[in-house]
Amino acid sequence: MKIKLTSVYVDDQDKALRFYTDILGFAKRADFSQGPYRWLTVASSEEPDGTQLQLALNNNPAAKTYQQAMFQQNQPAAMFFTDDVKGDYERIKARGAEFTMPPTAVTGSTIAMLKDSCGNLIQLTQLARW
Amino acid sequence: MSSHAEYMPGPASGAQMRRKEGENWTLILVRELHHSPERVWLALTDPVHLREWAPFDADGNLGTVGNTVKLTTVGAPKPHVTETTVTRADAPKALEYNWGGNDMRWELEPFGDGTRLTLWTSINRHFIAMGAAGWHICFDVLDHLLADDPIGRRVGPETMKFPGFQRLHAEYAKQFGVQMPKW
Repeated sequence: MKIKLTSVYVDDQDKALRFYTDILGFAKRADFSQGPYRWLTVASSEEPDGTQLQLALNNNPAAKTYQQAMFQQNQPAAMFFTDDVKGDYERIKARGAEFTMPPTAVTGSTIAMLKDSCGNLIQLTQLARW
Repeated sequence: MSSHAEYMPGPASGAQMRRKEGENWTLILVRELHHSPERVWLALTDPVHLREWAPFDADGNLGTVGNTVKLTTVGAPKPHVTETTVTRADAPKALEYNWGGNDMRWELEPFGDGTRLTLWTSINRHFIAMGAAGWHICFDVLDHLLADDPIGRRVGPETMKFPGFQRLHAEYAKQFGVQMPKW
């Protein structure tokens, strides 16, 4: 078994695709539809065959409630790892993203938090090196 | 007769689209079937028939106004179920409901000894040619089913790998003057 996919709920898949590609810099991996269903995934441009992130529409009450509760409690819906959190912070901020936490040293890592414009908080993490 | 393995769809035909404000446009599909409106109506509304050709499974009959029915998208990479309430059911002429936010309007007109079937459906504009190709193949499967020569339902991701699907998708995209999604 391998972990190849994880999901976040989004309130608008087109808007999410723009955010996760144009602003975060990921690449689209899958995009197909059958009737009302749209399977949309992105992956890191640095690791195109790595784990995919599904951008799933939150069009059911359980998904919406979960997403809103996580957001209100300041819990990130997903966490991405970087070797340069300050550089990514500057780059992503310059493209218009709204950060709720600038790069901040915590135990074992430096983290930053931003809004994905689709109902989620996203955490960027740079692990400390000893 | 044609077997499951030999089936290849014919050229793109019978589809139109209407551009609208917003993300969803209207796809209009017309197909002439060699079967009576009553038979076609049954295939459009009865869960046992739908399971043989439609891109969704229904847990109840779609042929009665006010019926609430769960529709399960077949072949979705994750389970995808939506609930619909039938808003119009004039047997064997007109049927309306909503599939996961996409309006579905079916019209059945007598045509010679058969039926001219028209589907109006709202669909995300990026996938309008894909939808036309998918429904084209579903209608072929329906036609075979009604002729008692079933070739098996063809929906979901497996269908998209089928060379006939990609050809149809490209043909409809060209007819509509739209881009095919890239992935």
